[in-house]
Amino acid sequence: MSQGSSLKQYALTRLGLVVPMVFVVLTIVFLLMRVAPGNPVDAALGGHAPQAEINRITKQLGYDKPLYVQYGKYLWDVVRLHLGSTISDRRSVSNIIEVNGAATLELTFFAMLVAIVVGVSVGLISGRFRDSPVDAGGRLFGILVYATPVFFLGLLAQLVFGVWLNWLPTSDQASPITQALLQTHTNILFVDAIIDGNWSALWDVTQHLILPATTLGIVYGGVFIRLIRVNVIRTLKEDYIEAARARGIGERNVVYRHAFRNALVPVVTVIGLQLALLLGGAVLTETTFNWPGLGHYLVLYIENRDYAAVQGITVVIALVIVAVSLLIDFVNAFIDPRVRY
Amino acid sequence: MHLRKRLWHLVVLGLAGLALAAVAATAASSKPLASKASTIIDGTTDTVTNIDPAGNYDEGTSVVDLMIYQHLLGYPQGKKVPSPELATGCKANGADTVWTCTLKKGVKFSNGDPFTSADVKWSFDRVIKIKDPSGISGLLANLKSTTTNGPYSVSFHTKTPDATWPYILTTGAGLIVDHKIYPANKIVPDSNVSDLIGTGPYKLTKFSSGQQAVFSVNSNYSGPKPKNDGVIITYYSKSSTMKLALTQGSIDMAFRDFTATEYGALGKTKGITVYQGPGVSIRYLVFNVKRAPTNNLAVRQAIAYLMPRQDIATRIYHGEVQPLYSMVPKGLPGHEDSFATQYGDSPNPAKAKQVLSKAGVKTPIPLTIWWTPTHYGDSSADEYSEIQRALNSSGLFKVTLKSAEWATYVDTLGKQYTAYQLGWFPDYVDGEDYLLPFYLTGNFTSNAYSNPQMDSILKKEQGAKSTPERLGYIEQAQALAAKDVPIVPVWQGAMLAVGRSNIHGIQQTLDPTYIMRFWNLSKS
Amino acid sequence: MAASASVRVQRRAIGLRRALAPIAEARGFSRWMLIAGSAITLMFVILAIFAPVLSPYAFDQYQSNGHRFAQLSRPGHGHILGTTVQSTDVLARIVWGAQTELEVVGLALAFGLAIGVPLGLVSGYFGGVLDRGAVFFMDAMFAFPPLLLAIIIAFLLGSSVSSGVLVAALAITIVYVPQYFRVVRNHVISVREEQYVEAARALGAKPFTILRRYVFFNVVQNVPVIATLNAADAVLTLTALGFIGYGVQPTQGAEWGYDVSRAVTDTASGIWWTGLFPGLAIVLLVTGLTLLGEGLNETINPVLRRRAIRQVDFDAPSFDAGAEFYEA
Repeated sequence: MSQGSSLKQYALTRLGLVVPMVFVVLTIVFLLMRVAPGNPVDAALGGHAPQAEINRITKQLGYDKPLYVQYGKYLWDVVRLHLGSTISDRRSVSNIIEVNGAATLELTFFAMLVAIVVGVSVGLISGRFRDSPVDAGGRLFGILVYATPVFFLGLLAQLVFGVWLNWLPTSDQASPITQALLQTHTNILFVDAIIDGNWSALWDVTQHLILPATTLGIVYGGVFIRLIRVNVIRTLKEDYIEAARARGIGERNVVYRHAFRNALVPVVTVIGLQLALLLGGAVLTETTFNWPGLGHYLVLYIENRDYAAVQGITVVIALVIVAVSLLIDFVNAFIDPRVRY
Repeated sequence: MHLRKRLWHLVVLGLAGLALAAVAATAASSKPLASKASTIIDGTTDTVTNIDPAGNYDEGTSVVDLMIYQHLLGYPQGKKVPSPELATGCKANGADTVWTCTLKKGVKFSNGDPFTSADVKWSFDRVIKIKDPSGISGLLANLKSTTTNGPYSVSFHTKTPDATWPYILTTGAGLIVDHKIYPANKIVPDSNVSDLIGTGPYKLTKFSSGQQAVFSVNSNYSGPKPKNDGVIITYYSKSSTMKLALTQGSIDMAFRDFTATEYGALGKTKGITVYQGPGVSIRYLVFNVKRAPTNNLAVRQAIAYLMPRQDIATRIYHGEVQPLYSMVPKGLPGHEDSFATQYGDSPNPAKAKQVLSKAGVKTPIPLTIWWTPTHYGDSSADEYSEIQRALNSSGLFKVTLKSAEWATYVDTLGKQYTAYQLGWFPDYVDGEDYLLPFYLTGNFTSNAYSNPQMDSILKKEQGAKSTPERLGYIEQAQALAAKDVPIVPVWQGAMLAVGRSNIHGIQQTLDPTYIMRFWNLSKS
Repeated sequence: MAASASVRVQRRAIGLRRALAPIAEARGFSRWMLIAGSAITLMFVILAIFAPVLSPYAFDQYQSNGHRFAQLSRPGHGHILGTTVQSTDVLARIVWGAQTELEVVGLALAFGLAIGVPLGLVSGYFGGVLDRGAVFFMDAMFAFPPLLLAIIIAFLLGSSVSSGVLVAALAITIVYVPQYFRVVRNHVISVREEQYVEAARALGAKPFTILRRYVFFNVVQNVPVIATLNAADAVLTLTALGFIGYGVQPTQGAEWGYDVSRAVTDTASGIWWTGLFPGLAIVLLVTGLTLLGEGLNETINPVLRRRAIRQVDFDAPSFDAGAEFYEA
């Protein structure tokens, strides 16, 4: 029972920390954006309108007020969940999260699938045959693949599969006609196509997913390889594996049923963390493949000093990351009491 | 346990099979979905802000606006001066302070609402009232009030005499909206696609910001039927992805904007043509006339003597731009090659040296030139490298190049920089729009240039009574601009568009009015 | 007096030999990784230091003997790896780029360690409210997409600091400080409960003496591994910054990520040499650093590593601190 209550305590403590954490993130973003030279009005109209006009608009938008006044207004807006609209392209921040967040979700989900398939399979085999040439090969593969910048890999993929072989489309979520005709339900085109029962659209969307998801997934797969391998090795050293062998269970069973299953447990944790980071914006992948995701747009808005957009999006991203870490920490605290403090 | 293992195997096999099938199928059919017969798919790297005309002041959005809205006076294909669109004509009173326009009868909005003078007054009033942060209302700075005289006549009362008011009518501020739908004090958001009603050749059926805009033909359009069934504009953030999409056939054409290298490569690709027409965008080097060393006229003149325009045009831009010898570009009435007249049309190090020694300036002169990496295209890096090389190799300058990303750049240039890169895209295509923004006291370049003589020439130009008189002032202004040289014009861009071989009509729409008339394009 | 001095020196020598022994004893793949990693990294370090001598041309050199280089010429005579759109030599930019990369990453590492390690030490050892606060703050930093944080810092500093290298280094430092902090702090927490520390405390040693004598040395053994792996990650972050356009500006030095970003338009037009070589350089350097780090990890700290495995600490996002924070 004491375990149960300390779990609850742990949960409440962590939950309680979420709000101040988000607050800190908000403040950091606010300060960084305002302190950075340049403002959205200048970025939009600099060199193209008289200074008097620029000043008038700056005043109209309230950017000439003292910093603490703007900060106060900003906090008040956030509390009421008035995330506002962007200045450079006049979209509501919630619309951006909905539409572009869905695009990032679609990409990261499939990239994660690829990463898991690649990482787990190579990692398991590597760990099983530790210190053999197979292991060396697997580890080297993992290192090389992670050392390749995503934008470089994407570039090569586009070159090989798009230009030379012309097998796959190299940008966007779907071809223009498909995108024009598809009804919007969830903004995740893959799901929307299924809901509509539109199989040719689904095929089109899948084709467009292959290059970006695979590029991003392979790079992250490299990280999984390392982790899985280490866990397999560790698990294989455990006493209960010795015991299983002593009981006469075949090696194959020992490896597959006992070692592998247990080696995969912490993977859930890492998947969760990786997902959080991926959601934070697979910026380079999205830029390379013209994928309309959150990270890609965030960079654009930073360039334009679009305060509302950057602040709004960053807060949502931070919230997601914090939420996912929280979830994972709960799972771990549930499993491993040593973690709570 | 056993079952689970089997299940696992099945899942893995299934996925593998799917993957294989996918690759096989894609290898077999490399074409994307067959497009609807006659819908033109266009790609662009522009961005769209507010489609509502009272809320935008950028080129990317104006492409969309011109599909669904019209002006009173516009530029039908082939015409280079403001010509009747929704108005049959506009006349000024003697003092050039009241312009009265007669409106076309029987025009309808795409939702069936009739077009009358009430819509005109509403449209202009709301631009001024909303005062959108994009700055579009600045174009109507000289408008005092708009009055209607019956359903088919409207009068514009200006604050000061304005000989070029018809040109203002052709800008984005002069687009006409339906007074029954558009609020007087608010912008219609882009998400309300069904409310974005206009009288233009198309209506907007779908808009996903940053991704695509879908247009279908407006059945209520009063002009000639468009030569296609509809248009889809697809938005790209990088020109390289757009290029791949074009060569793969996912898009039929692209308008704005590729890099110089990409245009060059596209020109050599089978099945794709690069179309080039006269352009109106310009690039120039601005000097702050109050900070050293550019506060010295001799220094500015020396740079004007050394500007390597031909090298930039051929080597960096492969002929897609032409050297520019005046801020008023070639092709516009009143254009004079005043910089060629005063400084020669190719770099002249001897003369530069002469002017510097005559002024007693010690050489080499240390100079920092600023440029910005993306806002004016990736080739800016190469362009300014070229300028640096030209100035340094003359032995007269020691140039340090510095760059800053756009938002920082534009915020700092007035406060710190001495020589910096800028570019201009006109609001309306007339020499006046290339002089007022740069040479009046308090101009847009923040370079502290102020010459009462120039101010008075430009004031006279705005109030001129006849075209020859106005052109005369424009020429005078250019000569004085070359003499004072607060800005050195560098190049003038062409209007470029790229299309696959099945798209027709692009070349004819490329003219100094810089309008891509999608309604005149056909697809075979 | 003289005797104890030489004894001290002897003791140090023995200690050093003992510390480095595992490297000599390394076998198999770990040994291979160590050798390969060191060789590759050393090669780049030599390139970086001797760039002026080894490089055929300056990084922005576009002419020689009054004769301009051709633009975008294929690999061949005079330009082994070809030339770029600005008529600069690709090989020269690779060699000088090595200097830029290592300079920035070296600086970033130095700053990051100088800030993160002491902070982690103090925070972990003394605990209390300050510790909670620091952990909280660092956790908040973790919630930030790293690349975006780096971008914002880069243009924030870009206008006030003139050296592009310094700006990039600082941007990367800020991204990685939380990692050093967290790793060091976690380690300190586990070490401070050790018996020898408790004994020292019982003997009346002052906290800073304990920190200096026992904790620091123990904890710092972990640092080279993490630093190397972080260096690998930092190179990736730097080139990502350069790719997006916020890294070291082209007029201040050659940077591989920037070169790849310019090469993107070239590649789609069939010109492969401007992008392939800088890209491969990045892969090679990062691989070298990672091999070195992994090799060190497996050889120098076999004991520590096992402890780390047993306590796969789910609090820290990774026990290979270098891995997960590269923003893809």
